[in-house]
Amino acid sequence: MAEHPPSDQTPAGAPAEQAAVDRHWRRLALAAVGVAVAVGGLLGFVIIPAGQREHSHLSMDAAMRRAAGLEAGSPAHPQPPAAINSLPVSQVSWDPAIMQRPAAGNTARGAELAGQVCAACHGETGLSVTSAIPSLAGQTSYAIYKQLHDFRTGARVQPDMTAVAQSLAVGDLASIAAYYAAASQQYAALGMRDLSGETEIVRVAWEGDTRRRIPACMSCHTNGVGGPIETPALLGQNREYMAAQLNAYASGARKNDVYGRMRDISRRLTPHEREQLARYFQGTL
Amino acid sequence: MRSLERLTLAHLWTGFVAFAIACLLGVWQMWVRSPLTAPLSTPDRYYQSVTAHGVSMAYLLTTFFVMGFGYYVAETSLARPLPGKRWAWIAYGLGLTGGLIAAIPILLNQATVLYTFYPPLTGSALFYLGLVLVVVASWIWCAQMLVAMAQWKRSHPGQAVPLAMFGTTANAVMWLWTTVGVAVEVLFLILPAAVGLTETIDVGLSRTLFSWTLHAIVYFWLIPAYIAFYTMAPEEAGGRLYSDTMGRLTFVLFLVYSLPVGMHHLFMDPEHSTGFKFLQMTLTVLVAVPTFLTVFTISASMEIAGRLRGGKGLFGWIATLPWERPMVLATGLAFFMLWFGGGGGLINMSFGMNAMVHNTSWVTAHFHLIFGGTVVIMYFAIAYTIWPKLTGWQSPNISLQRLQIWLWAIGMMVMTLPWHWTGLQGQWRRIAAFDYSNPLIASWGPWVIVSLIGGIILAVSALLFVWNLVTLHRSSSPRFAVGEVPYAEAVHPPGRLPASLNGFGLWNVIVAVLMLLAYGYPIAQFFIDPPPQAVVHRLH
Repeated sequence: MAEHPPSDQTPAGAPAEQAAVDRHWRRLALAAVGVAVAVGGLLGFVIIPAGQREHSHLSMDAAMRRAAGLEAGSPAHPQPPAAINSLPVSQVSWDPAIMQRPAAGNTARGAELAGQVCAACHGETGLSVTSAIPSLAGQTSYAIYKQLHDFRTGARVQPDMTAVAQSLAVGDLASIAAYYAAASQQYAALGMRDLSGETEIVRVAWEGDTRRRIPACMSCHTNGVGGPIETPALLGQNREYMAAQLNAYASGARKNDVYGRMRDISRRLTPHEREQLARYFQGTL
Repeated sequence: MRSLERLTLAHLWTGFVAFAIACLLGVWQMWVRSPLTAPLSTPDRYYQSVTAHGVSMAYLLTTFFVMGFGYYVAETSLARPLPGKRWAWIAYGLGLTGGLIAAIPILLNQATVLYTFYPPLTGSALFYLGLVLVVVASWIWCAQMLVAMAQWKRSHPGQAVPLAMFGTTANAVMWLWTTVGVAVEVLFLILPAAVGLTETIDVGLSRTLFSWTLHAIVYFWLIPAYIAFYTMAPEEAGGRLYSDTMGRLTFVLFLVYSLPVGMHHLFMDPEHSTGFKFLQMTLTVLVAVPTFLTVFTISASMEIAGRLRGGKGLFGWIATLPWERPMVLATGLAFFMLWFGGGGGLINMSFGMNAMVHNTSWVTAHFHLIFGGTVVIMYFAIAYTIWPKLTGWQSPNISLQRLQIWLWAIGMMVMTLPWHWTGLQGQWRRIAAFDYSNPLIASWGPWVIVSLIGGIILAVSALLFVWNLVTLHRSSSPRFAVGEVPYAEAVHPPGRLPASLNGFGLWNVIVAVLMLLAYGYPIAQFFIDPPPQAVVHRLH
């Protein structure tokens, strides 16, 4: 340890002389920090805006207000609105209020409606009766609600389902979605299927094909992986139904996919690949 | 073994165990990123591993090391018992419990949000609670450092606080300021979202609060290395510290200029205006000042040592330095790597150039080089210096310590230089896999493999480090005196010292004013004109 000089030569104990030293250092420190802040402030709030002003056709005042964050936005020229009017593909936009709906669905009411309206085709626990009709087991309430709502608004069209969805209130749709999501929790076997397919198809499913800009199916279609929350689960879905949907997306007959993601992907898949993927994801029990 | 030794060893061993695990995970991650097929590789596991690696390195290794080393410095440099040692053990228990609690959801893949959290992603609440406990433990440590220094000053009126303790207390003061940002973010934004009290989260505000912490935390990790530069390296080299005042200025400047600068992590974020970004950039530049002060002072101190050992001429003193001693060797290598890491840092903090490297692996390479090349290598040297004094056993084989430090430095350069290069080529960061069938990406492949080789060298070095420490517990060579203190004397021991270089009152006021100027409006704007919130995405 360093030896310290006797205390009569040292700092905070010796008032008279020491106070002068302290004052000097305090001033020095404050001045140095003050200069640094002044330079930074001048640069950020005056010099840079002065440079930007000319190119952005702004007044100095507006440029400085922007630099301080008091006025919005970098685009000095507003961007033109998109030239084509896009068709509303789906009116379900997931804000917290809408997300509450499937979560708040009344499953008792849902069970009652499902028994009267849905079960004849989709089964009591969401296992459908034929391969052309989708199974609802294993789907989240968000996925089911999204499709029902799209049928109701006309974003997706299928004669039977459109009629059913339009005859029910939005709250009822949410209840049905909540019921089937809960019912399928008891029926967990869909996730236990054996999957087998050709190497190329398995690769598309799990890794995609970046050269054709086809993302992996499973990068979105697994619950909880981070894709859009309405994304349906694919494992165990009926082959005929799935193939029909991929073909409908590819032809543009179905268009309730936000941003046209599935239309885009389906068009890049060959008809054979669509068929093979549907077969692969159905799997075997 | 005395209680101080037990306390210090418990902290350092906890940190180093976390470090060794994190190193092995790191190699696997580099393997996954490379064109070679890594075992067990799925994107899910990759991000899980990145989370575990980051949490272990950034929160566990560093916090436990800083705390353990701080206790050691407080008792040895002040030459009096640490006040409230019972609290130190309580803090250790809290920190260890917190680390283990945070580890559970990470292992269950329910907290794969990386160590920087990235809201609106949220993981299991246990993850955040565990980390909060680690931070609370470090707050207890901060209080103890402040009390230890205050008590010493009371009983030594007018005397200069020993430089090692001054640096340690500067770090404690800085850490208290630093953790405010992340604590507010976790307690008021992330935890309510993680437990389901809120369905939306203000991402801009979260990121702003995290940026408050994100730069200063790096200096929290770094200050022990600087304490070693100023107090241990000149002593080990057989010389004296060229200037005690420079050391004090350096620690004070780190305190002042590490905090109002965090927005340089948000240059490409839309929620802040250019004016505040430029202001914080300007303040960031000033961090170069303490860095250059240190490079100058320590080079001068080494020159004194070299000349005392008979070195002649302009550079002759370099050759006569005792490079065989781990502390001297590590200091030299750390300075060498600081040159590259610091240069990269200057590019990152320049608003314009940042746009080129932002979100590329250049940034990842940069922080690995600074962290491994300047911080952790000095943790090794500190451990090698104080371990014999803690256990009383001398190393049976000091050449293994040298080998370990050399392997670390070589591994770090081999890993990070190509990594910087691929970043300049546009390689993204936070990506679990690259499509090497794409010709552009394929051209990065060989460089990533070189980085992987660097990573393997680092892992070997990390394991050798643990082995070297183990041998210091069961050595057969003679014991030597415990408690001999390793701090260098200054050429001119501090005599008349202004109060501002012997305490932190003035600097706390300056930090408060700077934080108000730099972060006041940028944070207030979220409340004046609330932006749209993001829907919380729960991963658990």
